[in-house]
Amino acid sequence: MTAAGSVAGTERPGRRAGRPPSVVPVFVRLKVSVLRNGLRQSRGRTVGWVVGVVFSLLYALGLGIGMIALRGNDYAPAAAVTLTLVLGLGWAVMPLFFFGGDDTLDPTRLTMLPLRPRPLITALLTSSLIGVGPLFTLLASTGAVVAVAHGTAAVAAAVPAVALVLVTCVALSRAVAAANTRLLTSRRGRDLALLSGLVVAVGAQLANLGASALSSGHGLHRMTSLTAVLRWIPPAPAVDAVRSASRGAYVLMGVQFACGAAFLALLLRWWHRSLTRLMVSPDSSTIQAAGPEGAQAPGRTGRVIRLGRAGRRASASDGGARSLGVVDLLPRRLVAGRTAPVMERQFHYLWRDPRSRATLATGLAVGLLLPLVAVVQHGTIYQCLWAGGLLGMQMYNQFGTDSSAFWMVAATLGTREDAVRELRGRALALAVIAVPYTAVVTTGAALLLRRTDALPETLGLSLAFLGALIGTGAYASVRFPYAVPQDNPFGNAAPGQGGLVVLNVLGGTLCGAALCLPVLALTVALHLTDNHGLLWMVLPCGAVYGLMVASAVLRWTAPRLLDRLPEILAVVART
Amino acid sequence: MDGSQGSGGTTRGETARLEPYYGGSARTDDDGGDGPPPAVRVRGLWKRFGEQAAVAGIDLEVPAGRFVGLVGPNGAGKTTTLSMVTGLLRPDDGAVQIVGRDVWADPVAVKSRIGVLPEGLRLFERLTGRELLVYTGRLRGLPIAEVERRTGRLLDVLDLSGARHKLVVDYSTGMRKKIGLAAALLHNPEVLFLDEPFEGVDPVSAQVIRGVLERYTATGGTVVFSSHVMELVESLCDWVAVMAGGRIVASGPLADVRGTAPTLQDAFLALVGAERGGGQDLDWLGRGGR
Repeated sequence: MTAAGSVAGTERPGRRAGRPPSVVPVFVRLKVSVLRNGLRQSRGRTVGWVVGVVFSLLYALGLGIGMIALRGNDYAPAAAVTLTLVLGLGWAVMPLFFFGGDDTLDPTRLTMLPLRPRPLITALLTSSLIGVGPLFTLLASTGAVVAVAHGTAAVAAAVPAVALVLVTCVALSRAVAAANTRLLTSRRGRDLALLSGLVVAVGAQLANLGASALSSGHGLHRMTSLTAVLRWIPPAPAVDAVRSASRGAYVLMGVQFACGAAFLALLLRWWHRSLTRLMVSPDSSTIQAAGPEGAQAPGRTGRVIRLGRAGRRASASDGGARSLGVVDLLPRRLVAGRTAPVMERQFHYLWRDPRSRATLATGLAVGLLLPLVAVVQHGTIYQCLWAGGLLGMQMYNQFGTDSSAFWMVAATLGTREDAVRELRGRALALAVIAVPYTAVVTTGAALLLRRTDALPETLGLSLAFLGALIGTGAYASVRFPYAVPQDNPFGNAAPGQGGLVVLNVLGGTLCGAALCLPVLALTVALHLTDNHGLLWMVLPCGAVYGLMVASAVLRWTAPRLLDRLPEILAVVART
Repeated sequence: MDGSQGSGGTTRGETARLEPYYGGSARTDDDGGDGPPPAVRVRGLWKRFGEQAAVAGIDLEVPAGRFVGLVGPNGAGKTTTLSMVTGLLRPDDGAVQIVGRDVWADPVAVKSRIGVLPEGLRLFERLTGRELLVYTGRLRGLPIAEVERRTGRLLDVLDLSGARHKLVVDYSTGMRKKIGLAAALLHNPEVLFLDEPFEGVDPVSAQVIRGVLERYTATGGTVVFSSHVMELVESLCDWVAVMAGGRIVASGPLADVRGTAPTLQDAFLALVGAERGGGQDLDWLGRGGR
């Protein structure tokens, strides 16, 4: 804490001493209060938090003990350096994903207080050391240094090494957050955070692959040869300094500590600059917002004149905003009334709304992945049912994803026909993507598995399942809607609605599967009676059956939607 | 309904409603009115959230063609009332008629005759301003060419032409209110319900909104808007209803509700039982000390 040390010494002699009292205790208390009040919100949240903390601490403890078990092993230094680097990387990217979760990360909340950046940095750094993350880092990095510490000198070096790693990690996280505050508090930044769920999932898979590659002796050997470079990347030098102390290479140890401290100093300097910039410059988001509006303001007096021009301008430049091509390809009767605008809005949302986009991308990716796994592991072609199933599930909780904007639907929906068309628009928007996708995935898998003979029945079953899920999804959306939190990227339901989600997903899938039974029975019967030549019939039967089930359930659900408009609004607006 | 005095059916709002609510002159309203039906007629409207009654028996009759202000302190039940009147919230009890048609029995007729700008509810914000209006117009069943014509005009009049290709999620508060107002006006409704249309709106946008609303009422439309800014209501409205604690404590033409009080603010404070002044205990405040 180089830069911080100068102010940290100022205790609380009060104003009379000429210097303002230290704000460190205030920030520490603030952090503790924020933690405590976060837990006070609901019992479920408290339980979740406690379980999460226990698990992550057990994990950290396991990591630490694992590292200690490596003590004396040839690979211990490589493992210690790698672990430290992973910790550092985790801290660096964490604010990008969890910014919204921690109010104390956002320095702009403090701009109105008469605080100078330097005491602010000390206070923020100290308060950041409180929490589960720092404890996790402390446990893991202690394990790392114990793994490489041999002898008194090394043990003496281990204590500052752990402290340096911890403070560097926390400062890194804070500096990254401060440098990116503008981005992270902007709408685009929040959109980015919503997509981070995907990144985290993919990252976890990559980490998994990496870990299994490393756990072989060959992998660790390769890691050891890389260590020569890795140990100089902060915050690893601090840990490697302990190993240098164990070997008696005190000069190297000194250089490594100096390297770590210099990096920390640079970090704090970067953080200081970002903070200063944040605290003195205005929020650029409002400046941007004011631009076009301000430019329009003087035109007010000329409104009458511009009214005349408006018609011409609108017709000249706005033709492109009319409709998306897909809707035009469908029969006019099918997309009559509000169906077409509803479909267009759904498509706009799939592209522009990060949550919808992430859900669709996940459905598409996993729906492709599972048949692929079947191909790789020479599994069954029936894995292709996942493609249609996962996309069909997206029909569930249609109105929850609208959030309180559902009032615009409620305010314009008057007749039963309107309700049918509203539901049809949503179903068609999904089907237009799901039907071709299922066909392509199933055909591809059948070709790769050399099971083209089973293609018609698989595709027929898929289409029947998709139709059943679209139908039951529409009904569940009307009967069991739940609110989707708009600001929490990781939750798919607002607190206290877990039961409803389970009811939707589990009950819906079961009902969908039950509705498919006739097609399944036909397939099984044809197999059992050795009528393999007639199995192609499952495809047209399944397709027609799926279409009929979906449209029948939509028609049956429509009057219920009309009756329940205020009730649905009351539920989905609760975010 | 416990003795609330909505405007009497015979005089339709021409009499003052200055008596405090608990005054208890329970008048019977004659429902078989002569002449055109009132813009809004509310009878015995109730809404409870748990133990608390947010709206506790409202009777109100709003004459057509007026600029009506629904005023009251925070938590008085204005938003709950407007939500029930516009069909977005189901009342526990009571009846609501818009231009003589029941909101819950005849939703088609009512929904096509009213425009709504709710407070605290989102729009479909991932659409651009222009897309939002076109989408709304088509949901309302207007022909596409007409929707596009009206959209262009509304965007222009509301000074939103420059931002028509921007996503609504990136709009400022004033711009959001204006695009919401445009969406509410698009189908040329007979009655317009606006919940806090001026809240958080800059003076320039407020003036634009005001101009549009004045023009709308001049051509026979009825505007019902809620606010707690008395100066605004006094300068805009010719008819007001005062809410407090989930009830209507007074309603009628502005001059009658104001009565002998110098301003509507004073009349309002007297009606809701608050006093001017306050802050006498803050004797340390001011005089440059710390």
